[in-house]
Amino acid sequence: MIQSIREIHDSFDRGEKKPSALVAEYLARIQASPLNAYITVCADRALRQAIRADEVLLKAGKVPRSGQPLFGIPVGIKDNLALSGVRMTCASKVLENYIPPYSATAVERVEAAGAITLGKLNMDEFAMGGSNENSAFGPVLHPTHPDRVPGGSSGGAAAAVRANLCVVALGSDTGGSVRLPASYCGVVGLKPTYGRISRYGLVAFASSLDQVGPIAANVEDTEVLFNVLAGHDSRDSTSLLSEVTAPAAPFSIAGLRIGVPAEYFVEGVASEIRTAIHFKLQLLESQGARLVPLHLAHSRYAVATYYLLAVSEASSNLSRFDGVRYGVRPQAAVEAGELGAFYRATRARFGAEVKRRIILGTFALSSGYVDAYYHRASQVRKLIQRDFAQAFSEVDVIASPVAPATAYKLGERSDDPLQMYLNDIFTVPANLAGFPAISLPSGEDAAGLPIGLQFMAAHSNETLLFGLARQLEQSLKEERS
Amino acid sequence: MVQVNEKLTKDLAELSKLELTPGELQEFTKQLSQIVGYVETLQEVNLKELNLEPQGLANSSPGNSGGVLREDEEKASLLDSEGKPAVLAAAPDVLNDAFKVPPIL
Amino acid sequence: MEFEAVIGLEVHAQLATASKIFCPCRAKPATGLSVGESDANLYTCPVCAGLPGALPVLNRKAVKYAVMAGLATECTVRTESVFARKNYFYPDLPKGYQISQFDRPICEKGRLLINTSTGCREIGITRIHMEEDAGKNVHLSGYSLVNLNRAGVPLIEIVSEPEMKSAEEAVAYLRALHEIVIFLGICDGNMQEGNFRCDANVSVRPHGSPVLGTRTEIKNINSFRFIEKAIDFEIRRQIEVVKSGAKVVQETRSYDPARNVTQTLRSKEEAQDYRYFPEPDLPPIQVPADWLSEIQQHLPELPAQMRQRFQKNYGLKPQEAAAITASRALAAFFDRTVQLLGGRAAKAAANWITGEVLRLVNEAGQQIESSRITPQHIAALVELTAAEISGTEPLVSSTGAKQALAEAFATGEAIQEIVERLGLKQVSDSGAMESAVEKIIAGFPDQVAEYRSGKEKVLGFLVGQVMKQSGGKANPSVAQELLKKKLS
Repeated sequence: MIQSIREIHDSFDRGEKKPSALVAEYLARIQASPLNAYITVCADRALRQAIRADEVLLKAGKVPRSGQPLFGIPVGIKDNLALSGVRMTCASKVLENYIPPYSATAVERVEAAGAITLGKLNMDEFAMGGSNENSAFGPVLHPTHPDRVPGGSSGGAAAAVRANLCVVALGSDTGGSVRLPASYCGVVGLKPTYGRISRYGLVAFASSLDQVGPIAANVEDTEVLFNVLAGHDSRDSTSLLSEVTAPAAPFSIAGLRIGVPAEYFVEGVASEIRTAIHFKLQLLESQGARLVPLHLAHSRYAVATYYLLAVSEASSNLSRFDGVRYGVRPQAAVEAGELGAFYRATRARFGAEVKRRIILGTFALSSGYVDAYYHRASQVRKLIQRDFAQAFSEVDVIASPVAPATAYKLGERSDDPLQMYLNDIFTVPANLAGFPAISLPSGEDAAGLPIGLQFMAAHSNETLLFGLARQLEQSLKEERS
Repeated sequence: MVQVNEKLTKDLAELSKLELTPGELQEFTKQLSQIVGYVETLQEVNLKELNLEPQGLANSSPGNSGGVLREDEEKASLLDSEGKPAVLAAAPDVLNDAFKVPPIL
Repeated sequence: MEFEAVIGLEVHAQLATASKIFCPCRAKPATGLSVGESDANLYTCPVCAGLPGALPVLNRKAVKYAVMAGLATECTVRTESVFARKNYFYPDLPKGYQISQFDRPICEKGRLLINTSTGCREIGITRIHMEEDAGKNVHLSGYSLVNLNRAGVPLIEIVSEPEMKSAEEAVAYLRALHEIVIFLGICDGNMQEGNFRCDANVSVRPHGSPVLGTRTEIKNINSFRFIEKAIDFEIRRQIEVVKSGAKVVQETRSYDPARNVTQTLRSKEEAQDYRYFPEPDLPPIQVPADWLSEIQQHLPELPAQMRQRFQKNYGLKPQEAAAITASRALAAFFDRTVQLLGGRAAKAAANWITGEVLRLVNEAGQQIESSRITPQHIAALVELTAAEISGTEPLVSSTGAKQALAEAFATGEAIQEIVERLGLKQVSDSGAMESAVEKIIAGFPDQVAEYRSGKEKVLGFLVGQVMKQSGGKANPSVAQELLKKKLS
């Protein structure tokens, strides 16, 4: 049974369990798990932290919940977020042996809030992928249907949370990489407003799109983790100075305007998903929400826009992996007599999807093509931003599926990159326009595979999203009982 | 429409210092061609609606405009426990506290 | 056929900030890895070393200095400018791209006035933009070493219009620019250490032709003298090539001072596609109107303006004005001295400063700003020696004044105290000198006779004796007049 943060803290307070015992349980489960959710497990480090937590708890008599909202909570960190002194691979052979000398701001905050890092979570290499099949350390398996993918690129994070291999996890979302695996695995995942959570220490894939995102089994835990992570960081120049919008009044479903884009509920989306979502929306409507039809004029250009911009930035961000200052320097590079051969030998260790995206990005930025591809995509991005700004002047939130279908079988899509990219159709707009979006578990299909429902809100309106998410979660709980 | 052929793929690979096997060259060229074909749809978008906003270009990411500038104060560099530059610790080949690489010229 | 040269210059000036442009590491430009250099990579961090996950944060002072450079060269400063990534692979470039500016540089369309033997001309400045410096590579046999201390040091790149027509003009432009950045205090200007790097783009064409010839780029020359020679050589070389019917190859060349020739460094065929795009990790640089006017208000006076003012207000001649503005410290010292003198005797002050003061300072290997001599010292000396201030006769002889100065240089004591202590006041009152003169006339009858018989030179000897007799206090010209009178 997956315990929430609150339940764990209650059990600490009641003396039912100590932090070190809890961590030992999680480590044992990880050890026995076939999911391959972790690339590196920091057993010693975690136990040491847990023993210190035991002492703090003993002295204080109870959990210091307000000062340390994640006290003693086992957390998993996606392996593209730096934790000082612990190997960070980004699931790539290029960084197989890399140990960062500093920690990401997000990781520092989580540990300062008392969380205990169990290890670094498996992912698609350099966050490029939607199924966690692009890892140099083997794919992650779906937590309840092991012949299927957990989604990606934060596949390890979502699977670990669902399989109780950690209580909460940090993922990253560039075009849906937190929300998609969250929806496939049946857990909660948030992509915050761009700039809300510091990117310092997050290995960049696409700088203007990347965000760290919290993943948990329920809404409250996701929100607790979000609050620990959110806030200005002077080490990230894109970090927001403004605060999360404080609501004028506590959340109320009455009168909430939920936008339903016509473009999103079409034949390409599995009928079970459309049905499940419509049912949830009707439920909310019966509670007082208003469903408002919407048109998002440029939605069919979102994937193309996203991919051009993302691969362009990625092709540049990955240039630093040249074997000079860190990373694996293979024998061929050591023996290289000149620079060109040296670089090529080092970078030969990238996986196919990474190479593909670097080449595509180099193409989009090349002289002769940059205007028609990169610059044009930048312009269309602005049009998409405008569509949504307009939409949020008419509605409070926008509802959509997270993916056109539920989790597919391992190997089913890996031969067709374009097909993979099209899977991101509902998630990329939030990255392109920067506003927050959350994926909520909303039932299962006939095969028992989780279905995700996405809500999007205007910039900095995470509080509204969490309010709505809690409302839905509560309603669904009541429905089931 | 641009012709994505093996020569182009090869040139791009060279620019990005990637080595492709003949198999990869063929496969990538095919896939790139498909993807480029797909993103061609952007050419049909009417951009006139944009009317060249003043902060037009670039940084289309929403967030701060302005950002925070850093005061010009020197802070101690990142050193390890022995006082050596921490950035050297992960280097594959170090000589005299410098990064060693094949001959450049 | 007559040919003309077309020269454009690109200058990279390192900004004299305490920390790097995008991180708080010390901005210590490495001069290179010599044997035994012990601080390689000491001034680095995840940001300037390009570690995964690191992000840039812009140094406010670097922006200020770039704006100052723009204002000093009459550029338009953009309210909003943008950083861009210049992508290429090189071991001294940790991220595999340099953060620079492309489409929207911080300053544009300025100008610089230059003076050459052919007169005064205005050279246009196309743009000034900000960027980060790369690390330093050292080439050894069989391998190279990379030191990233210099990676991330702030640079401004100043690009001129291709409007110079001779090596002389090019060097005049460079000297003027060099002087400005030093006077502004934004760059140390030490070319040997790479603070101020110049690249020249040179082409030739038939006189009057509207078409530009193929240009070559000359890099890595670190003295004005060599730049002049290199450009001179290159112009002549290109003219020879064209005259012989061949085509000038577009390439990068270096200069060999030993043989006074330029030679191919690398062919431009390897010209790179840098794939510039706006830097997503940095928001646009904002220079709002209020900050701009604050910088403008506090802009130090430029050397050309200073020279004008010194000539106009203090009556200095152009050469004197040039000499006293050889450095900002010297000019400031002079300005303050003349202030203390209430604006009088400026020439005398200038002479003291560029003469005796500089001699003492240079001999001791010091700088004027850190020596013990102050404007107060010089003002006091001028008051004691300059006729127009001290009255008809100076209160201290020039020998005595030099002595006092040397003493002040050594101890820092006030001039008045030194003069008292060493008894340097000279006696100019002829009455007081009477007895000394009488004594000498009486004591040296032979010399007196020689003088009276027409040997004028002997007077000097007699004056010297009067000086000796008075313990150096006699005013020599007064003594001389008195002797002449008595012996006539």
